[in-house]
Amino acid sequence: DGLKQCLSEFKQQLAWVERLDVTSGQVADPVSQSASDKDAVDPENDFQREMSFYRQAQAAVLEALPRLRKLQVPTRRPDDYFAEMAKSDQQMQKIRQKLKSKQEAMERSEKAKQLRAMRKYGKKVQTEILQRRQKEKKNMLNAVKKYQKGLSDKLDFLDEEQTSSQGNKKGSANQRIKKGPNAKRRYKNQKFGFGGKKKGSKWNTKESFNDVSSFRSKVAHNKGPGKGGKKALNKRPGKRARQKMKSRAR
Amino acid sequence: GKWKNKERVLIFSSRGINFRTRHLMQDLRTLMPHSKADTKMDRKDQLFVINEVCEMKNCNKCIFFEAKKKQDLYMWLSNTPQGPSAKFLVQNVHTLAELKMTGNCLRGSRPLLSFDPTFDKEPHYALLKELFIQIFSTPQYHPKSQPFVDHVFTFTVTDERIWFRNYQIIEEDASLVEIGPRFVLNLIKIFQGSFGGPTLYENPHYQSPNMHRRLIRLSVAAKFREKQQVKEVQKIKKKGSKVLIEEDPTEVVFETPAEEKPVEIQLVKPESKPIVKDKKKPRKIQRKKQKKLFRTE
Repeated sequence: DGLKQCLSEFKQQLAWVERLDVTSGQVADPVSQSASDKDAVDPENDFQREMSFYRQAQAAVLEALPRLRKLQVPTRRPDDYFAEMAKSDQQMQKIRQKLKSKQEAMERSEKAKQLRAMRKYGKKVQTEILQRRQKEKKNMLNAVKKYQKGLSDKLDFLDEEQTSSQGNKKGSANQRIKKGPNAKRRYKNQKFGFGGKKKGSKWNTKESFNDVSSFRSKVAHNKGPGKGGKKALNKRPGKRARQKMKSRAR
Repeated sequence: GKWKNKERVLIFSSRGINFRTRHLMQDLRTLMPHSKADTKMDRKDQLFVINEVCEMKNCNKCIFFEAKKKQDLYMWLSNTPQGPSAKFLVQNVHTLAELKMTGNCLRGSRPLLSFDPTFDKEPHYALLKELFIQIFSTPQYHPKSQPFVDHVFTFTVTDERIWFRNYQIIEEDASLVEIGPRFVLNLIKIFQGSFGGPTLYENPHYQSPNMHRRLIRLSVAAKFREKQQVKEVQKIKKKGSKVLIEEDPTEVVFETPAEEKPVEIQLVKPESKPIVKDKKKPRKIQRKKQKKLFRTE
């Protein structure tokens, strides 16, 4: 009661334009669950609390702006009206920078995530393909080996690859496989490939000593057709002839 | 138009305030063009000195910040010559310079004041509302003011406290962005006079920060003491003397000794029982040692 008395003494009778005060509830929020009951706002829940303040401000603005317009108080600043702002331009720049950097950071992290996901997927697909190819190769080789060894005289494995079987190709393929690799290839394989014991291949064993298959008599007695007469030109005289020449020269 | 509503607010503080309070004060000065600044007041002087300072500066309202223990901030709002005054505890201060407050407004533009419906329900809130209106609204046609209305102050009562927010009005459809500053006021007392006088209202929900800290410390101490007590009780229980039960003389009645069997002396070795292999039981693993002994023999 003392309060009320004081208030009545203290209260100023001013036109609303001077005071610009609005007492209002909140704007109805379509999303909110609590049915416009302010007491339900939990002060600990920051987001809810701030939203309630925001809505109260909105309600006030929606109420006050028409009144102001009626009283011809301007509310919108014209574009060519430049005046000092409460926060300096520098401050606003800083704020803008911060927002931009936050957005960029988010975008970057999003991109990185996507890249990682794509790489994982790509790698998976790649490994699948490689495995499939290897499997096919293995199967093919096995089938070929089997056929070589004569276990199966059916050439079914070729069918798996070429669904549209062409008879010619099939026949020629058969022939080739029978002979195996080329003679040249076989020689090279024997010399260089297919593992096996290589270390003792150049020793003089009884067999290699008695083996005269690489003896060409014409080459040994120099009776074969000359290579091109070059050797005749370059024939070096014997030791005695050379000594004679030397003593003669002196 | 002519500036008729001659309100002037003196905003100043005592010594020992920290940077946040100083910035808050500066922010209020930029937002309110009808404010005046003053030097820091010495703590030694009494509060009614402030009335004289205000009179010298020709101000009829005052916002005075008082910092205690370098931790607690109190704010006095007062109508200086004779009117009521109120003391608040200020918490959760955020200033204009914080980067999360992205809005901006004209310097000196007039604010809209928005109040909670709760302010009309209680007389002390009604008084505070009147005080806020008179202090925070910029008079029309004030020489330093801008004619546009582009921001709104909100005062909301939540959790027995008054929350202050400042929003910039962007669009006519009431889309808002926060400018700042922000603070929370916890009402302590309302006095009839300026910085003194009889108490009109005392907030029953107010707890001084000292009490608050003390309670926290006490609760921690209480927990610790409880633990100690429990430990002691346990110790006593362990040591505790065993209760002696008295001998009951009537128990002997029910005792019957067992009959004595005649002593038999066996002269002939009894026949050995046939060994039946129990296939259900697992076979015992013969020790290798035994086998070895047999072999050597």
